[in-house]
Amino acid sequence: MNGSERALALVAGIGNPDRGDDGFGPTVAQRLRGRAPFTVRVVERSGDALALIEDWNGIPFVIVIDAAAAISQPGRVHRLDLTDRPLPIGLAPPSSHAFGVAETVELARSLGKLPRHLIAYLVEGEQFATGAPLSPKVANAVETVAERIVNELSAILEAKGNAGYA
Amino acid sequence: MANRTVRVDYIARVEGESSLELHVRNGAVDRVRLSIFEPPRFFEALLRGRGFGEVLDIVARICGICPIAYQMSGVHAIEDALGIQVDEPIRGLRRLLYCGEWIQSHALHIVMLHAPDFLGYPDAIAMAREHGEAVQRGLALKKTGNELLRVLGGREIHPINARVGGFYRVPGRAELAPLAEALKHARDQAIETLRWTASFSFPEFVRDYEFVALRHTDEYPMNAGRIVSSAGLDIAAVDYETEFIERQMPYSTALHSALKERGAYLVGPMARYALNRDRLPVEIRALADEVGLEPMCRNPFRSILIRGIEVVYACDEALRLIAGYQPPPRPFVPPEPRAAVGYACTEAPRGVLYHRYRLDGEGTILEASIVPPTAQNQGVIEGDLRDVATASLDLDDHALQASCEQSIRNHDPCISCAAHFLKFQLHRT
Repeated sequence: MNGSERALALVAGIGNPDRGDDGFGPTVAQRLRGRAPFTVRVVERSGDALALIEDWNGIPFVIVIDAAAAISQPGRVHRLDLTDRPLPIGLAPPSSHAFGVAETVELARSLGKLPRHLIAYLVEGEQFATGAPLSPKVANAVETVAERIVNELSAILEAKGNAGYA
Repeated sequence: MANRTVRVDYIARVEGESSLELHVRNGAVDRVRLSIFEPPRFFEALLRGRGFGEVLDIVARICGICPIAYQMSGVHAIEDALGIQVDEPIRGLRRLLYCGEWIQSHALHIVMLHAPDFLGYPDAIAMAREHGEAVQRGLALKKTGNELLRVLGGREIHPINARVGGFYRVPGRAELAPLAEALKHARDQAIETLRWTASFSFPEFVRDYEFVALRHTDEYPMNAGRIVSSAGLDIAAVDYETEFIERQMPYSTALHSALKERGAYLVGPMARYALNRDRLPVEIRALADEVGLEPMCRNPFRSILIRGIEVVYACDEALRLIAGYQPPPRPFVPPEPRAAVGYACTEAPRGVLYHRYRLDGEGTILEASIVPPTAQNQGVIEGDLRDVATASLDLDDHALQASCEQSIRNHDPCISCAAHFLKFQLHRT
């Protein structure tokens, strides 16, 4: 969709594509281009998570995709509904900046600026080295997550009578 | 309670990773260490062997908050080496770009990182529940600053449009018009934010700093000026390493800077304002008077007011630059490589940022030296901590830690830059 149309949903792939498995979010976002319904806006974000509050302003359904530290097995995907609860501490994606995704979500909650539905897809990462590609286990999860998101978006938008494909 | 140790393993609400360790022995502060354990990033070594044209893309990666500062000091140093004088509109666009970075960096620090200290909240998330309007103003200011970076720099994070000799692409007047509208609104928000911070209670605390900042013949300093200090230093960037020295500290991955003759010194908004108040427009000085900001402020807790003044000024200055902008006849001056050394200092939001490059005849970087503001302020931050802790020893460990952390945040340190921030340890023995 172009910028002048009002999006019904937003998908934000978060992370640095030059830092190993941190590139998972942007990679999934790229995989969604042309596949997600045209009423869905797909963005890639790195660094400044606070900008998400502006990104999802006025958009009712939001999916964020990010990498998390490994807590059980690298490549494992977690789908979390953040609409009414924060990211669990163990899964909150790490950030060297003062405001990561977890803090941004809670700030938005304090401000009453959360979207009506906020879903997070998090993959447990294996390595985050500078310049490294996705690890094989995390790369294997890209298509699976892209497919799940397309299906989830289609189901939601069809239920609202707003589905459509470019 | 005569002897105790306070240790903060990760200092919150700063950029990057560091820790603080405080030892109190026999009722007196015995040792203060601000340890930066962010891994060393070896940017200076990384630059060696690269072409001068690659410098700006590499140094922009040093910091996600102040990439423009690194690009501006870098581009001026390379242009100094190559003997390039840029056209006046290019100089204006660079100053406009810097205004954007000052607005977004200061707004983030004032509202999201520093204000919770004064209002007794653990973080901006908790503060937002009762001060939602102030937080939303801060976010809106940050957005406006970022928008300047996006339009002029090509993108908000690690911008890509600046190049040696000018810009890859310069905007037309029509592209800047929407920015002017946003900046007029941002100026009002900046004044409201300043007045909000002026209502805070500030600890009575004064230190006798040597302030170091750039000073320009007629501008509040950003991209140009001589390096001056409150103790009479007045040098060009080429003489920086004659007057200043960097030292390794065994407990930190960042180098500590000092004046060879006099030791610790302070760069940043307090120094800029103290040494350049007369370069601010009369309306901005009147605003400083209105919020009770003295001409030479030596209370670091009040630095939040100076950042607020600088945000208003950056909005005004950006509006002035946009109003007078005429696109240059060419987007850049073509650079010709030559064997030379170039030096530059510019005013990052956190203070003076020094770059030096030695190039060979092909334009390859043979040597690079980068001294970020936080590395320069570490001595002063530790000095502040010693005095703040000494005045707060009757507090319990939790309150003492909070006081020390606030003291560190007074200087908005960017640890990622310096190690290229905070764990707190207090030992009372």
